[in-house]
Amino acid sequence: MKGILLKDMYIAKSNILVTVVSLVVLGFGLSFLLETSALLVLAPVASTTAVFISITSDAGSKWNKNVITMPVSRSQIIGGKYFFYLILAVQGIIAALIPCGILALFGMDITIQSLCLYGAIGMSATLLAGGISLPCAYLFDPEKSQIVFMMSFMASTGMIVALVFLINVFIRVKDNILVAFYIVFAVAALCFFISYKIAVKVYQKRDII
Amino acid sequence: MNNALTVSGLTKMYRDFTLDNVSFSVPSGSVVGLIGENGAGKSTTVNAVLGLIQKEAGQVSILGREELDDDIKEQIGVVFDGSNYPEILSPGKINRIMKNIYRSWEEQTYYSLLKRLSLPADKPIKQFSKGMKMKLAICAALSHHSKFLILDEATSGLDPVVRDDILDMLLDFVQDEEHSILVSSHITSDLEKIADYIVFIHEGKVVFSKAKDELTEQYGILKCGAAQFDALDKSDSIVYRKMDYEWQVLISDRQEMQKKYPKAMIVPATIDEIMLLYVKGEK
Repeated sequence: MKGILLKDMYIAKSNILVTVVSLVVLGFGLSFLLETSALLVLAPVASTTAVFISITSDAGSKWNKNVITMPVSRSQIIGGKYFFYLILAVQGIIAALIPCGILALFGMDITIQSLCLYGAIGMSATLLAGGISLPCAYLFDPEKSQIVFMMSFMASTGMIVALVFLINVFIRVKDNILVAFYIVFAVAALCFFISYKIAVKVYQKRDII
Repeated sequence: MNNALTVSGLTKMYRDFTLDNVSFSVPSGSVVGLIGENGAGKSTTVNAVLGLIQKEAGQVSILGREELDDDIKEQIGVVFDGSNYPEILSPGKINRIMKNIYRSWEEQTYYSLLKRLSLPADKPIKQFSKGMKMKLAICAALSHHSKFLILDEATSGLDPVVRDDILDMLLDFVQDEEHSILVSSHITSDLEKIADYIVFIHEGKVVFSKAKDELTEQYGILKCGAAQFDALDKSDSIVYRKMDYEWQVLISDRQEMQKKYPKAMIVPATIDEIMLLYVKGEK
């Protein structure tokens, strides 16, 4: 899987650099307008767009066909893409934490609680969007994967709202906002894992031509 | 003799095409050419052999194993039409990727092949010509101790000079008797140069699987007029085709036929002509 990840890194390298620099700059810029930690909602989603560049490139170059003839299993191919998506999401979080950390050192009021809250929202949205868009990009038309990603991000926002309403039935979200979003994050992580399992199962039987 | 590849009863059905009960083998140390017109089923056969598509029936055994596991994949080099590597990569980056994919990757072999074929290691593939991309794909296929090479239309669209370079590399590879090659191509002149056996596929079925020497040294085309054609023993004809001014009859033993029909004009048949007669002729 290391070789496949390395290939994805080479393809997405310039996009990753641009995203990281943009997030850091945006973080400092936002500090004049609103809470910098809110950047954590956007950062992982913005970072993961690079995975769809690699999916489109794989389809365009017919790498998908080539890699199956190599000593790499189909589950490793799918697993590599899901893992790459996770790496990018975490890298987005880290990039967003850089301005937060620096601004906190200069005395700006950035609490651990707000970082955890926005981080949980951002990661939940990213995992839900990835859980929908990654299998779609593999199983349908990879050329349209970036559009699917945008749509799945909108769908994930709706799912988060629905989950929050559902949690509110059992515990009062306003008083337990952090706990509520930890539950949302756990559900999103579970959905992402289930999505991976389904994608592997379907890809095993798929004709690659 | 061991077979590098044995295909038996391979069947794959699509809505408008069926690969029907295809059987042939690639003996170790030999080059087998898979020929047929576009859409005959060559690529479907190669894809099914490589596990890219699910087969409906049949068995495929590569290097003695029916399961296409990682150990077997380590020993197979595959070259498709085009490089099939993301164009943003350079040969140097491909080396780093392949080092992490193939346990048996030979960095030195890879770089010496790149040097031999004058391929720059640091240029992105998108700046390569089609011939350079094919050469790169062959370099990669030969750099992990492959015992069996599979090439699917690898020389299509290349100029004769590059094709000749590639054929030389393939001939070098097969000097080792443990090495074997399956080449699918509709450029039969390439196969006449390197193949030991020819498997002809037409409309998803194997029409024949024969030694190339048998085809080029024994097969022939009997050219005659209508009266002479009518007088022919039809069991001597494999297929025939009516042309504008003559009949062309494909025969399997031209010396025997020359004795039987001393006045007939019998000429050797090229693989191209044999293929054409099978596709366009009648039985």
